[in-house]
Amino acid sequence: MVNLRDSEGRNWLIQIGGSPLVPISIELDGEKIELENISILPDSRSNRIIIKKNGIEKIAFCAKIGDKWWIHFDGNVSSVEVIEPGASDVGGNEGAFSAPMPGKVLEVLIPVGAKVSEGQPLMVLEAMKMEHRILADRQGVVSAIHYSPGDQVDAGSVLLDLESDKSN
Amino acid sequence: MAKPEWMKEAPKPISSILIANRGEIACRIIRACQEMEIEAIAIQSASDEGALHTELADKVVTLLGDSLAETYLNGEAIIDAAKSCGADAIHPGYGFLSERAEFAKSVTSSGLIWIGPSPEAIDSMGDKVTARRRMEEASVPVIPGREILIGIDEDSTIDSLVDAATSVGYPLLLKASAGGGGKGMRIVREPKRLQQEFLAAQREAESAFGDGTVYVERLLENSRHIEVQILADNFGNTVHLFERECSIQRRHQKVVEEAPSPILDEETRSAMGKAAVSAAKEVAYSGAGTVEFLLSSDGSFFFLEMNTRLQVEHPVTECISGVDLVEQQIRVSSGLPLPFSQNDLSIRGHAIEVRIYAEDPSKGFLPATGPLAVFIPPEGPGVRLDTGVRQGDEARIDFDPMLAKLIVHGSNRGQAIRRMERALRTFVILGATTNIDFLIDIMQHESFISGDTTTNFIDLHFSDGWLSPQTELSVAVLAASAEQLGLHRNHLSSSTEESGRTTSNDPFLIISRSFP
Repeated sequence: MVNLRDSEGRNWLIQIGGSPLVPISIELDGEKIELENISILPDSRSNRIIIKKNGIEKIAFCAKIGDKWWIHFDGNVSSVEVIEPGASDVGGNEGAFSAPMPGKVLEVLIPVGAKVSEGQPLMVLEAMKMEHRILADRQGVVSAIHYSPGDQVDAGSVLLDLESDKSN
Repeated sequence: MAKPEWMKEAPKPISSILIANRGEIACRIIRACQEMEIEAIAIQSASDEGALHTELADKVVTLLGDSLAETYLNGEAIIDAAKSCGADAIHPGYGFLSERAEFAKSVTSSGLIWIGPSPEAIDSMGDKVTARRRMEEASVPVIPGREILIGIDEDSTIDSLVDAATSVGYPLLLKASAGGGGKGMRIVREPKRLQQEFLAAQREAESAFGDGTVYVERLLENSRHIEVQILADNFGNTVHLFERECSIQRRHQKVVEEAPSPILDEETRSAMGKAAVSAAKEVAYSGAGTVEFLLSSDGSFFFLEMNTRLQVEHPVTECISGVDLVEQQIRVSSGLPLPFSQNDLSIRGHAIEVRIYAEDPSKGFLPATGPLAVFIPPEGPGVRLDTGVRQGDEARIDFDPMLAKLIVHGSNRGQAIRRMERALRTFVILGATTNIDFLIDIMQHESFISGDTTTNFIDLHFSDGWLSPQTELSVAVLAASAEQLGLHRNHLSSSTEESGRTTSNDPFLIISRSFP
């Protein structure tokens, strides 16, 4: 059984078996979905895998980086994350607001305790010589700020904690 | 070693060039050197060690330090490197020092050949405020705009800013005088954001160009960005190599470029070509340069700026004109005349270039990073890839997010679009998010196909941003199977796998297969 999370945050639970490999059961966000006539064959060249769908074979390209499988299939690329059994849910930290990219903090636009509305600029980051505004994705109260102007941040670094505004 | 044929007539033969750049453009120039039998010397910062351009070059000089100022922007160290390696000339590529007149001057005064226009030409065109003045003198039309006087304190500067903005009117554009590539540029639609955007533009310009001068220009919406390639020698010959249309931009950085423009008629084409030649002659230009125009919806065009260097999108012009621009730059710098005149030049077919950026179009085009674990470029007729990276490299944040340029050439625009879509679909990059899927959507967009491409194309047609296609069932099954097969663990020794279709070392098994 393989548990995956796609880029839309949907959860896939897929059981694969047999020779050639075929999906035995597929659940998407807890709901069983209909099996298609698919089988999977390995390929001798690295980073390739063959998918046979309705009798037609196509090559897909794949590579695993960290927990993510990157798949190039039919002209498009997708990445899906493998969720190891027992691992905690996304980020594990609901109120945290993290950096979408690595860069340098140029400005912090709000103080701790500020009430912010959705879309309000919170910080200015610089990456690749361009400035990027970090916007609040929801309304809330800033309970902590973890970086100051001049600090370097990595993608995913928690910039500040944004708690849901209970008074609303 | 015998001199290559082209060099025999050259008054100032060039047999070794230091390329003061990195990435795809350094690779492009090195390849031209190789074809002309010129030794190519690369420079690298410590973090670029092993980069593609250093691998292609004949020699590599490492510049000490981590910052750009210590490495690719360090004119003094670069000239020292050129001298110690015995280079005859320096080619600056684009960006970095390519439009710094001071650097061009130092190169020449140290006895080296500068592959580019004179410092005077760079100065008058590189500074956008001066360029506007010169073009007005040469009767080339310019966009209405105003300069901002930097006062003795912040308040008086802001007063001048407000004055300039009021006289130009909203919406307006704040532009870095030393700028390019959208850096230090801000659109302002309402007065209340003026000051804030001005300070941001100033800061960005200061950090990108070392010059925080910003001016105000009227924002011409629904206009097209059309630029004309020119080439000039030192004997008074100046030709244009037709136009490129670069309307599709995001954050004022070009994404798709094509030549010729899908809408220009012969009359406008020739008028623009002539204006571009006048602009170049006004500053006694030499070498390759680009005159940018905005074409408004009523057919009138305005001088935007002149880029006194090779342009990122020069390959589309090379495709349709059959002229190798880097080769011509080198020939002109060695004192040779242009081998053709305007009448010898014509447009053949249609070419499109897309810029492959490491960025996430579904998150407002934020830069993305990651390893290029798999990097398989497209192939086939009419396909050209100018890349600065290869498989195993990494998309990093210390430089521009552009990984490569993909260029296609077809006999007409329709064929070029289909060719580009096909090429993009077979371009496999795994490990770092790129804009490839977004570019495929542009190639399929009916407004693009019909040639309806204005500079607000992306904002107009992707106003709610771009959504990556939902993950298909097939992809989820593929990922689950790859995980189950443990492809990430044994992909180096896959020929020993037991199951399925693996290559056997037994040749008779292969012979028994039927081939078409």
